[in-house]
Amino acid sequence: MKNPILEAKGISKSFGNIKALDDVDFFLKKGIIHGLLGENGAGKSSLMNILSGIYIPEKGTLTINGQLIKRLNPDLASSYGIGMVHQEFRLIDSFSIKDNLTLSKSNIYQNDFNEAFAKYSDIFALNLNSMTPISELSVGEKQKVEIMKLIFNNSSIMLLDEPTAVLTPQETVQLKESLETLSQEDEKTIVLITHKLKEIKDFTETIYVMKNGKMVAKDLDTKAVSDTQLIELMMGEVKTSKFDKNNFKGDTKLEAVDISFTSEQDIKTLQNVSLEIKSGEVLGVAGVSGNGQVELANIICGIIKDFEGRVIVKTKDVTGKGVKSRKKLNLSYIPENRLGVGLAPGVSVLDNSAIKEYFQASFGPHLSKNVLLNSLNDLINKFSIKAPDIKAEISTLSGGNMQKLLMGRELISNPDVIIAAQPTRGLDVSAVDSIHNLIIDQRDKGSAILLISEDLDELFKLSDRLIVMYEGKVITEIETELATVENIGLAMAGINE
Amino acid sequence: MKLKELKMIDVQFLGLINATLQAATLLFIAALGELIAEKSGVLNLGVEGMISIGAVSGFITAINTENLFLSILVGIVSASLFSSIHAFVTVILKQDQTVSGLILTILGLSLSSLIGKKYVGKKLNTKLEGVFDIENPSNILEIILGQNIIFYIAIILMIVTAFVLKRTMFGRRIEAIGEDLKSADSMGLKIGKTQFIATCVGGAFAGLSGVYLTLSYVPYWTDGMTSGRGWIALALVIFGGWKPYRTAFGALLFGFLEALGPRLQTYGFEMSPYIVKITPYVITIIVLILLTIFKNGDTGAPKNIGIPFFRENR
Amino acid sequence: MNKFIISKKLYRNELATFYSFLIGFLIAIVIGSIILLIQSKNPFDVFSLMLKLSIGSVNSLSNSLNKAIPLILAGLGIAIINSVKLWNIGAEGQIFFGAIALNFVYINTSIENSYLYILLLLASGFIGGSICIFLPALSKVLFGVNEIITTLLTNYIVFGLTIYLINGVWKDPNSLNFPAAAYVSESVYLPTVVGKLSSGFLICILFTLIAYYIKDKSVFGYEMRIAGGSTLTAVYAGISAKQKSFVAMLIGGGFAGLAGAIELLSQTHRVSTGISQGFGYTAIIVAAITGMRPLGIFLVGSLFGALAIGGSVIQTIGVSSYISDIIQATTLFGALIAQFFFSYEIKRVKDD
Repeated sequence: MKNPILEAKGISKSFGNIKALDDVDFFLKKGIIHGLLGENGAGKSSLMNILSGIYIPEKGTLTINGQLIKRLNPDLASSYGIGMVHQEFRLIDSFSIKDNLTLSKSNIYQNDFNEAFAKYSDIFALNLNSMTPISELSVGEKQKVEIMKLIFNNSSIMLLDEPTAVLTPQETVQLKESLETLSQEDEKTIVLITHKLKEIKDFTETIYVMKNGKMVAKDLDTKAVSDTQLIELMMGEVKTSKFDKNNFKGDTKLEAVDISFTSEQDIKTLQNVSLEIKSGEVLGVAGVSGNGQVELANIICGIIKDFEGRVIVKTKDVTGKGVKSRKKLNLSYIPENRLGVGLAPGVSVLDNSAIKEYFQASFGPHLSKNVLLNSLNDLINKFSIKAPDIKAEISTLSGGNMQKLLMGRELISNPDVIIAAQPTRGLDVSAVDSIHNLIIDQRDKGSAILLISEDLDELFKLSDRLIVMYEGKVITEIETELATVENIGLAMAGINE
Repeated sequence: MKLKELKMIDVQFLGLINATLQAATLLFIAALGELIAEKSGVLNLGVEGMISIGAVSGFITAINTENLFLSILVGIVSASLFSSIHAFVTVILKQDQTVSGLILTILGLSLSSLIGKKYVGKKLNTKLEGVFDIENPSNILEIILGQNIIFYIAIILMIVTAFVLKRTMFGRRIEAIGEDLKSADSMGLKIGKTQFIATCVGGAFAGLSGVYLTLSYVPYWTDGMTSGRGWIALALVIFGGWKPYRTAFGALLFGFLEALGPRLQTYGFEMSPYIVKITPYVITIIVLILLTIFKNGDTGAPKNIGIPFFRENR
Repeated sequence: MNKFIISKKLYRNELATFYSFLIGFLIAIVIGSIILLIQSKNPFDVFSLMLKLSIGSVNSLSNSLNKAIPLILAGLGIAIINSVKLWNIGAEGQIFFGAIALNFVYINTSIENSYLYILLLLASGFIGGSICIFLPALSKVLFGVNEIITTLLTNYIVFGLTIYLINGVWKDPNSLNFPAAAYVSESVYLPTVVGKLSSGFLICILFTLIAYYIKDKSVFGYEMRIAGGSTLTAVYAGISAKQKSFVAMLIGGGFAGLAGAIELLSQTHRVSTGISQGFGYTAIIVAAITGMRPLGIFLVGSLFGALAIGGSVIQTIGVSSYISDIIQATTLFGALIAQFFFSYEIKRVKDD
């Protein structure tokens, strides 16, 4: 067996009181494609950010090529040959491919650029002139240039964060071949970070699985491990529902009929999605991120207006109407992106607490600060939010308290319809519990709830019914009682039995 | 009789060309400096102040030493040092570029007035002479040859800047930073250092433009004599789409308008010279709006201009 | 070698802006003193004379406050526009355009009751300011054209227009050497309150309160804050960020236009290049230094007004009036430097 080229031992890293990484071991073997599997928030990105020097771990040791690394920052990491392709590309749009490949300080093909470009264009099946500006490239081509950039920068360890998320199936196959060539001919060490089962099995030789900040499986032989095993590792043990599911269900409160949506990039993000939720019912939407869930939520909530199909809230057709029409019908939306969408960064806790119903504190043009203060105090008491200084920026709150403020703000009006997207992502256990209780309380008060989540545990625990979204379509709909973790997990991975 | 009239118009025309070239030189050098700073992502609204500092320090040196070479050098260096205030506040301390640049203008104007107080009305004994000794130029070529050294420096600077930005690693890296800070950082480029230097180079250019103003264009010093040229230089960068050659073309156009203003009446036009004076600004606004609309927002402006950068380490 | 890592502080001292201003002012006084020393003047004497001649008597104090009016009003306008995180560099042009609009209305109308007439003229000044920023505002919200550039360039267009008017159609034949429009009738002069203090200062107080109300107490101000904080949150909340930006710019431009109107009716009494002496630019310092807070703008504006008066009177003892401009500018530079230490943390890391 080859000696590991990189060895990380006992890595721990916390953000606030959340353990992003808890005593994680990870090692890479030269010239091999490794898979790192896990849900969103499992700690994959944190680990990669530590390897590329962006985060500084609190505990643990890092050895590269047998040399113990005392300190790491992005510049040092790249000098050790560690390079990363982020999900958001780091390419300069207006510059040519050549500029993007060669401007880097650590570029090794200064003088023989043309030969190198020809060689790797061949490997990546990239049929482009090196003077073409990046802005004219397709997403798949950009991805290839981004990976080539690592090669030109002399990276021997290549960390690829969800590289296939933006690729067509054909491009994915092509990428697989390219990576294989790189690992075999150039002896590049590659880490493929993904939450797609199929790809990790296709691409890699060995698999690591993370769950809740821990490395739950190390160096599994890809050929020997089964899908079911991987799903169990990735999803963890799903406990049986703790909540009473004998809730009374009333009239239909939310209906989405035959919704289709084509994004600005001309991608069919949603195709003929229909759903219906009754009062007192929780409909869980399972699916890996990026399969149309955000768009669906934005359409229901009136943020996206140029879609096909109809949205009916409490028997009222609100298709084509805006956010305010939904607010009037007492619909609440807890968006996936807490800070940035649900809460405005740089704005005070007090102001953020009023975003849903500030007009209720208004008298003509006047906004009563007292009313705002009283409602915030209500929120703080009812939802036990810890906010040391309500005049300070919202980002002074911890993640859990931010989410409680957001949830509280949206729930205090006892809404008829609630759309909650990833309500517990990135929160610690106690915060997760209190958020779950809030949702169930609201269900029992008669709200119709659409719960979008990647956390199967959460979905099984809270939902009455489940749908699974894959590539913009609903591919499975099932009563939670009849669902199993396996069939939902496989459907999430796009495998329909 | 007729021939004499024709001759008069000819002389007038050549005078117009000469004035155009001089006005254009002044505007162009300052604009080119601003272009370099902006390419690296630093917007510096202090051009007017930097020109003023360069103008006064060059003039004072010339009065005291009568050494023109030294005067040019002092003008350049002092304006560059002065611009380093902006670089320090915005690049190192990451404060707002708009505010800092504006204050640089206010400070530059007041500081130069203060320093130059004793020199108001003094006459320069030596003046920058044309490179070729041409008396009574009779055609355009002779007008061009009759320009002084700074005119030729401007042309060289134009070619060199265009070449460096487009064709050299160094220049591409400057542009990379102004275009996309995060990508440039991922390439290992030294963002702070580059932006600081680019800002100071911009200041140096503005200083040269200022020296041209007091040693050649209007060879004396008086308060507020930059009279808005710094702002035209800023407009020029936009008009030129952040490209050196197009900026040079714009400088000729704007310089022509500046030269034309006071001459309109001699050509028998009833148009007010003040209306001519504002045309560069009107043209720039129209160009900016049209580019934004029709080129989908792609005005040529560096995409990350005005954004302070710091790497988030945790 | 040591390396420094800079990170944003989570909590900022509530009084950081105030302390930064004090630090900045202190730095400016020190630099001012050095400049005076170089010119072999005793800084203590000069500053105490400035103090005496700017706030030492009712007359000098009212001069100072009169000077503060345009700084405060234009500063307030800038602050309102900054609520949506946009810049107005065009206050200087808006001040001139306010005066131009006033004169235009004055020439073409006539009202017996002078109070009503004054009100109408002030209103035309305000509207003039709004008109002046209309194009930058419209092109910003419709096409996303950079408002810093458009408002900046507008200044020079309006200044050119002013010179054109006072040399052309509006030129007063009685004013031979100094091009200016004809004086307005004495009946529309803004009355004085105490000493030389113009009633424009009362308007200024009123508008400070209005700006404070708009920014801090109104629904509109709230919506501007959310829109300025995050456009996505605004969309999520059903707030039209574009609409807020547009209205904010028109109001902010109007404040500066009103400043021009007051300046005309209380100081110059006619359109001339003297309507503003860079007030629109100094107003940016005033607004930025106070962190865009209306009450702070009122106070710092008053102080800067006094500085300007102090600066102009010390010319009599042979000190350049530019010393007050330098003090104003360095105050802001000093404050910016201090701000950095209040908002960022610097950690030192040993490099091996």
